[in-house]
Parts: sequence; structure tokens; C-alpha cells
Amino acid sequence: MDIAFASETLMSLLSALPLTLELAVTAIALGSVVALALALARLSGILVLDWFARAYVFVFRGTPLLVQIFLIYYGLSQFAAVRHSIFWPILREPYWCAVLALMLNTAAYASEIIRGGLLSVPHGQVEAARACGMPRFMIFRRIVMPLAIRQALPGYGNEMISMVKATSLASIITLMEITGVAARIISESYRVIEVFVVAGAIYLAINFLLTRLIAFIEYRLTPHQRQPLAIHGELKGEAH
Amino acid sequence: MNIPAKSTSPVAIGLRDLHKRFGPLEVLKGISLDASEGEVISILGSSGSGKSTLLRCINMLEVPDSGTIAVAGETIRLRTASSGKSRPADQRQVDRIRSELGMVFQSFNLWSHKTVLENVIEAPIHVLKRPRSEAIEEAEALLGKVGIADKRNHYPAHLSGGQQQRAAIARALAMRPKAMLFDEPTSALDPELVGEVLRVMRGLAEEGRTMLVVTHEMGFARDVSSRVIFLHKGAIEEEGAPHEVFTNSKSERFRQFISK
Amino acid sequence: MNSPGFLDIVSFGPDGWGHVLAAGAWMTILIALAGIAIGSVIGTFGAWAKISGGPVPRAIAEAYTTILRGIPDLLVIYLFYFGGSAVVTAVGQFFGAEGFVSFPGFVAGALAVGVTSGAQQTEVFRGAFRAVHPGELEAATACGMGRVLRFRRITAPLTLRHALPGLGNVWQVVLKESALVSVTGVVELLRQAQIGAGSTSLPFDFYFVAAMIYLAISTVSGAFLNASEHWFSRGVRRG
Repeated sequence: MDIAFASETLMSLLSALPLTLELAVTAIALGSVVALALALARLSGILVLDWFARAYVFVFRGTPLLVQIFLIYYGLSQFAAVRHSIFWPILREPYWCAVLALMLNTAAYASEIIRGGLLSVPHGQVEAARACGMPRFMIFRRIVMPLAIRQALPGYGNEMISMVKATSLASIITLMEITGVAARIISESYRVIEVFVVAGAIYLAINFLLTRLIAFIEYRLTPHQRQPLAIHGELKGEAH
Repeated sequence: MNIPAKSTSPVAIGLRDLHKRFGPLEVLKGISLDASEGEVISILGSSGSGKSTLLRCINMLEVPDSGTIAVAGETIRLRTASSGKSRPADQRQVDRIRSELGMVFQSFNLWSHKTVLENVIEAPIHVLKRPRSEAIEEAEALLGKVGIADKRNHYPAHLSGGQQQRAAIARALAMRPKAMLFDEPTSALDPELVGEVLRVMRGLAEEGRTMLVVTHEMGFARDVSSRVIFLHKGAIEEEGAPHEVFTNSKSERFRQFISK
Repeated sequence: MNSPGFLDIVSFGPDGWGHVLAAGAWMTILIALAGIAIGSVIGTFGAWAKISGGPVPRAIAEAYTTILRGIPDLLVIYLFYFGGSAVVTAVGQFFGAEGFVSFPGFVAGALAVGVTSGAQQTEVFRGAFRAVHPGELEAATACGMGRVLRFRRITAPLTLRHALPGLGNVWQVVLKESALVSVTGVVELLRQAQIGAGSTSLPFDFYFVAAMIYLAISTVSGAFLNASEHWFSRGVRRG
């Protein structure tokens, strides 16, 4: 392995790291809001909301992320109404299209994780809060949500790692994040192995730190059941 | 200690000075035993006495550290592996001898993905290479004998424990074994299901089959077996015909054990 | 190029895109099947290494699953596509061919999908083997079954039954992942939709139809897998 080439590649790829992180963080953050809304819609008991959320999850989990990206980036421009709308400055940017697709996609997966977390909250603890005279929203904010987050955290961690990996698809709509830069260097140099190793190492490092971070948060959130750190949490969540 | 009563029948299973240790724990401390053809030997002992390990050594589910095992006069050859552990010298010999012994487990261990009939014909067809039609015919006869002919196409999960254990006995019999090994066959059963399994075992004993039975069933040991062996901490503490040892044992431990 | 309407896209008539999209969908299924087949071989060895391999095979299997879990699938596809091309080019030059020789995208894609799904299947098979009741394996040993016979008649069927739900998930993942193989130029469903989108002015319609076809494939195959899981799990005890 050529050390000079490898370190040069590393510098080029690291310069693309901020874009990868930005895509992942934005998509995960915005996606979590949509996911919470979808989970609440599923549990609302209102038939229309329930069915909407079901259909949403079904469609976004049943189709490839890349198709969703293409639908948003190339597909929407087909409509004059979109091109003339106030959203066009956003929708014509590959960056925002990628963020939008990643966000909508992760929301589908994450909503199921959050729903599982919400369903796991013991009914007795909600009743206890009700018995204290807490209003509904306060029960949700103070009792249900904190318990659900603890339950959902490991699964959500896997979903975040999936998202970090999924940002690589943004390279297909011209964004030069890590995989995009890696593909460019490969096609210029034909040195596949070196570039693959360096790029792979960066992704592994991100995901390793992310796993540690989630394990740390989990540790902090569960003082009542201090267990050994689950650092190598199972990461076999579905890909996109 | 009593000297084993010498019988005129040939020896079906002969054990000489078996030793077995699990880590620091010595489970068998030099066991010797001859089971003649047609003998029914009940092996008794409290938990941890080594009785199940002794039985599992006979068909090499546990490999003894030293000592010899002979089935129908054929000694199982052992070697010492590079790790210092004892290993079978010839796996094919072990597999063949296993196919000549029928084993019945405490937890039945029927193959859950096969029906009762498929469980019974599996090894005859694939290990003994018998023709399928012959194996099926024999299996149906055996299932009738243990009283579950009507369950032949059921999966084990849909049977009661007693029915499962009887199916497991039919599976062991289908090997036409030279001897049967029973490892606490009724311990996992609800009390009301114990009787049906013991009745089948008594029937086998009356046919003159060679049986080694690790059990807690004192009634079976006393009434059915021709010899009783009591293990204590990996050694034979008491041994003899049931009418002798149950009424007149010199071992204080055994008298305590049976009075419980 | 005159612009077709939405109905032309789904039509099987002379001006319709129905037949090429169907061919693309068929190619998608082929890539996914090849990928999952390659992955099942890798997964079997990976699970074996993790369960009963020595320290070296186990370490290799652990490293393999950890790495594949942490890096993007697209990167793996590039590795096989460009890497395969580099190898083929080198071999070509050795025999006097000149210039760049491209590696078949289908092979690169199937290998890449296989290697990624192999990591998932390693975990699926390992978990499934753990769920098998050890006594059932011991009973096979006690009947005198040798290692190979026991694996073929008892261990493998029981493990497979416990693995079916997990394999169903892997299949759904593989199906979606196969869309990434379009970057190698293999004309599978997404690539065909891209071609359609590029030669008409209806990108949304084409990608929408492609999405619906993916949804249909995954729904139908999911229902089929559920039914077969139900069928094969007769009698298998759970937990």
C-alpha cells in the first residue's frame, strides 16, 4: 500500500467528512420529528391518521431509498407547479433533495422504533401519573416520553448508523460527500483497494463513535439498571 | 463393596475403571461395571453423584478421561489429543457403536421438525441404510407397541410429555439396539404421565432387553430391575439385587437415600 | 421524441414501456436472488466460524460482520465494480488487450450484494442455531449419525426453520439494495426507469412506477415468505 497516496486520499476524503455529517445530522434530526408525529398518528386512535401513517411506513420501507431520492430530485421537477412554487429554490438543490429523501426515509423506520418504545411504557406508570393529577401533555412529556426513549434508544442507534451509511447515496445526485469523493478518486487513479480502505475506515470510525455515544447516553439514562456498556450493540437494522 | 454377581450370559456392556473430570470436579472416580445380556440395571444416586455422566460415557456423549468401555465385547479405542484430553481414536467406530445402543433422554429430544413416524425412521434409513418401506413397517409396529400408533403423523410439539417419551423409546428401539440407555426418562414428566412410560419400560424389561436406567423411580428399581447400583460422589457405593439391597443394605448412605 | 403519457409507461403495447420495465424488474429479482444465494454461502461459513471455528476463523468472521455493518453498501459495490474491472483489465493486458476492460456489472453487483447480505445472514444463522434445542442434536449423535449426516438431516433443517423470519428480512433488504447496482450500468428496474426518465420528460412517472413495482415485488414475496415460514415451522418449538 502506497502510504503517500493513502494519506493524500485520506485528506481528500476528510475534506468531504463535514458534508457527510451534515447530511446525516440534518436528516436524523428532522426525521425524528416526522417519526414522532407518525408514531403518535399510529397510536392516536384516529382512523384517518392511523391509516395515513401505516401507508407512509409501508411505502417508504418497501421501496429503495435511491428511488425515493430520484423521485424527489428528478421527479418533482416534471411538474410546472413545483418549478414555479416558492419551494423550487430548495427542491432544485441536490443537497436539500438528499436531506428531504433521507429524512422522509428515516422517519418511516424510526416511527416504528418510537412506536415500539411508546407501547412498552407500562400502563401502571401512566395511571400513577394520572392519579397525581397530571394533565395529559405533562404525562406524555414527563413520564411516557422519557421511558419510551430509554426503550427505543438501542434500535434508534441502529437506525442512525443506517442513516450515516445511507448518506453515501447522495453522491449519486452529484453531492461530493465521502463516497462521492472516493468514487471520483477511484475513477481517476484506478487504485480501488487503497481508496476503499481509507473511505471504509472513516465510515467505521464515525459509526464506532456513534455507537459509543449512544451507549453513553443509554448509560446515563438508565441509572436504575446499570449494566455493562453494550458497546457493540446489534447493528443489523434494515438498510435502505 | 459387593462383587458383581457373575452371570452366565455374555456381557453386553463392560466398563473398566472409568474416570471423568469436569475441570476441577472429578465426576467419576473409577467405575467398573458389567451388564450381561438381558440384565436391567437401575442406576441410583442423588444429583451430582455422576450417574448421568456414567450413562453418557457409554455411548461417548461424554468421553472418559481414562478407563475402557466395551460394547458387545468390542472395546472403544481412545487416544490422547494434543490438548491432553481423551478423544475417540476412530470416530466411525464410535458412530457405529452408538447406532447399536438406544438412548432415551430426560427431555425426550425428539426432532421437532419431523413427525413422530419420521423421528422413528430417520436413523434406521440414514444411519443403518435400511430400506424405507421396511423402516416404516417396523416403526409402525413399534409405535403400536408403545401405544401411540395413532399419533404417527403428529409433530412432537403437539404431544403430551408421556407420548413424546414413548415416541423417543420407539425411536431408540428402531435401531434394534443391543442395549438401551435411559437417562432419567421420567424426570421431566408430570406425575400423572410417569406411569405410561414406566409401563412401556417394564414391558421392554420383560422381553429380556438389556437396559441401563438412570432413575429416581424406586418402584421401578425395586420391582423391575435385576440389579441396582447406587452411586455416591462418582463411585459405586452399593450394588446388588434389588431384594437384597432394598431390605438389607450395609450402606448407611443408601439406606438414607431410599428412606427419603 | 414525442412525450408519452403515464399510460404508455405501464402499457405493454408497441409504444409502451411495460415490457422493458418488466424486464428490468426481472433483472432486479435476479440480482437479489444471486446476491442472497452468495450471501447464504458466506453466511453459513460465517456462522460456522462464529459458533465453532477456532480463534482465527472467529476473529475473521467478527471483523467481517463488524466492517460490513459499518460501511455503506454503495462503497462495497464500487469496490467490486472498479476492483473487478482493475483485475479484468490487468488480466486483459497480460494477454495483450489494450485499455480498460469493464467488469460485468451483474457479477459485481451480485457479489457486492452477496457480501453485504452475507454479513447479515451470518448473524441470522448464528441466532437461529442458538435457538435449536441442543438435545435434538445430541439425540442425533446418540443414534450414531456422523458429523455430515447430522448436519444435513438435523442441524441444517432445524437451523433453517429458525432462520426463516430473519432471512425474510434479509431478502427485503437485498431487494432494495439491488437498486444500487444500477450505478454499474446493469439495466435493472431503477436503471430502466432512469433510461425512461431520460428519454421522455416524465421522470416522476417513471420513478413512481418503479417505486410501485418495488413495492409490489416486496409485498408479494413477503406474503410468500410468510406462508412458507408458516408451512416449514410446523412442529418447531419456539423459545
